[in-house]
Amino acid sequence: MRVVIAEDLALLRDGLTRLLKAHDIEVAAALADTAALPGILDSERVDLVIADVRMPPTFTSEGLVAAIEARRAHPGLPVLVLSQYVEQLYARELLSSGEGALGYLLKDRVADVPAFIEAVRQVAAGGTVLDPKVVAAMVTHHQARSPVDALTPRERDVLALMAEGQANSGIAARLVITERAVGKHINNIFAKLGLPADTDGHRRVLAVLEYLQNT
Amino acid sequence: MKPDAIWGRALRIQAVLAAVTSTASIIAWAATGGGSFWPRWVLFGWGTALAAQLALRAGLRAPTPRGRWLGAHWRLSAVLAPLEIVIWLLIDTPQPFWPGWAILGIAIALGVHILVQRALPPSREKELAQRVDVLTRSRRGVVDVQSAELKRIERDLHDGAQARIVSLAMNLGLAEQLAQRDPDAATELISEARQSALTALDELRTVMSGIQPPVLNDRGLVGAVQALALDLSVLTTVTADLPGRPAVPVESAAYLAVAECLANVAKHSQARRAWVTLGYAHGRLSATVGDNGVGGADVSRGTGLAGVARRLEVFDGTITIHSPAGGPTEVTLEIPCELSSQKTSPSSETD
Repeated sequence: MRVVIAEDLALLRDGLTRLLKAHDIEVAAALADTAALPGILDSERVDLVIADVRMPPTFTSEGLVAAIEARRAHPGLPVLVLSQYVEQLYARELLSSGEGALGYLLKDRVADVPAFIEAVRQVAAGGTVLDPKVVAAMVTHHQARSPVDALTPRERDVLALMAEGQANSGIAARLVITERAVGKHINNIFAKLGLPADTDGHRRVLAVLEYLQNT
Repeated sequence: MKPDAIWGRALRIQAVLAAVTSTASIIAWAATGGGSFWPRWVLFGWGTALAAQLALRAGLRAPTPRGRWLGAHWRLSAVLAPLEIVIWLLIDTPQPFWPGWAILGIAIALGVHILVQRALPPSREKELAQRVDVLTRSRRGVVDVQSAELKRIERDLHDGAQARIVSLAMNLGLAEQLAQRDPDAATELISEARQSALTALDELRTVMSGIQPPVLNDRGLVGAVQALALDLSVLTTVTADLPGRPAVPVESAAYLAVAECLANVAKHSQARRAWVTLGYAHGRLSATVGDNGVGGADVSRGTGLAGVARRLEVFDGTITIHSPAGGPTEVTLEIPCELSSQKTSPSSETD
């Protein structure tokens, strides 16, 4: 796998590079700003872009903008956006930049190395991984005034984990319940929210996100 | 339209009329075979009227009321004095030079005006004294708010992130010692240290967003309020029409004020819908936060809205609350300020 990193803080840029290399992930380039990114994407094969949100020259949301533009120029390009803080607003902007192959995580998540590497691989493979904080905010945002209100607390937990991109086995492990129980919860959720029941895998994550984003 | 602009237009119309009637009278004078040049009285009349108005208008443009009347007076005098001489010149029959006396009278009147103005206690001073009162009060308010904020930030950092990092360093030190002897215990300590680092990060983020939320820096007032609305459990519509960004302190004060109002909506109003309107007109930034809840909001109840009012007073801003029992509530904040030219997005729905 070939990854391009765009992160202005040298400490984090080097740390990320070391972390990825230690897990046999090739770092094609580690950039301190977004200026060179389009050129690299045009000339080289890149499997994933990891970008920080706040970058020079204005230190606002350059990285996010660059990531969205890169996905516009190269549809389906996997992008993992990291940030010191997460906003639903940015998650929505990223989600509307195209289906799948998308990650949006707090930088803190790097501390859990295996989970972070798993997220990197999942996004590169076309999956969607959203930070639990964003998902929690999305679910809260909906609780008071939509069918999400009708979900039981357990079902809400399952919904949040689904939106993070977890598979049934992952959800079962996190909530310490059986996979069958997870399946039952998911059927209930899909019935209550009126989502198509036959979707599975990544399509399911998208259905849930689309629901949270649009209703 | 401002009175001054209306006057300007009237002056232009008068000038055109003057030109037309003067030309007509001169033509009439020529057609009737000349003789004594009577159209000079038409020219004189218009000239006097226009000169007097121009002088008065220029005088009244002075910034302070005091300077205004004296300014108008001396300009009018400057028109009147030469006028006397012109009248004396225009009259056909020879006369003694009476304009000397008239000009002396005008000069005395002007001199008296200047003396009186110098002697009287100026109203400008009263204005200034009132202004100083307001500034003293608002400055005391700022100092209070600021020192309370600083104390809070210091305490949050001391009890939160700093304490976590101390324990983190301690755990790492212990782990270093144990690494050879008891690798299992060392691993456990390292994992605890990692947990401390994450919690410290979380706490730092909370403190920072209390000082200045990052999204405000990244996206400005409109984006930050949209982000705020998205995180609210009440369905909130944000409509914004700002032709630019206000200065950072104003932006920050406006944001915190809107955030406080929206927090009130979520906590107290029991509303199902809320709305925020951001606009800019006549040199004032305005933000209206409304909801369809139970109403009864009041500055004197609780510290939230009073804090908002104090924060806004620093910028000569105002807060107006309309919240009858039973609702709906509308809180309007206004801050006089200038905007930079950067255009922000027009509006959005967050549902």
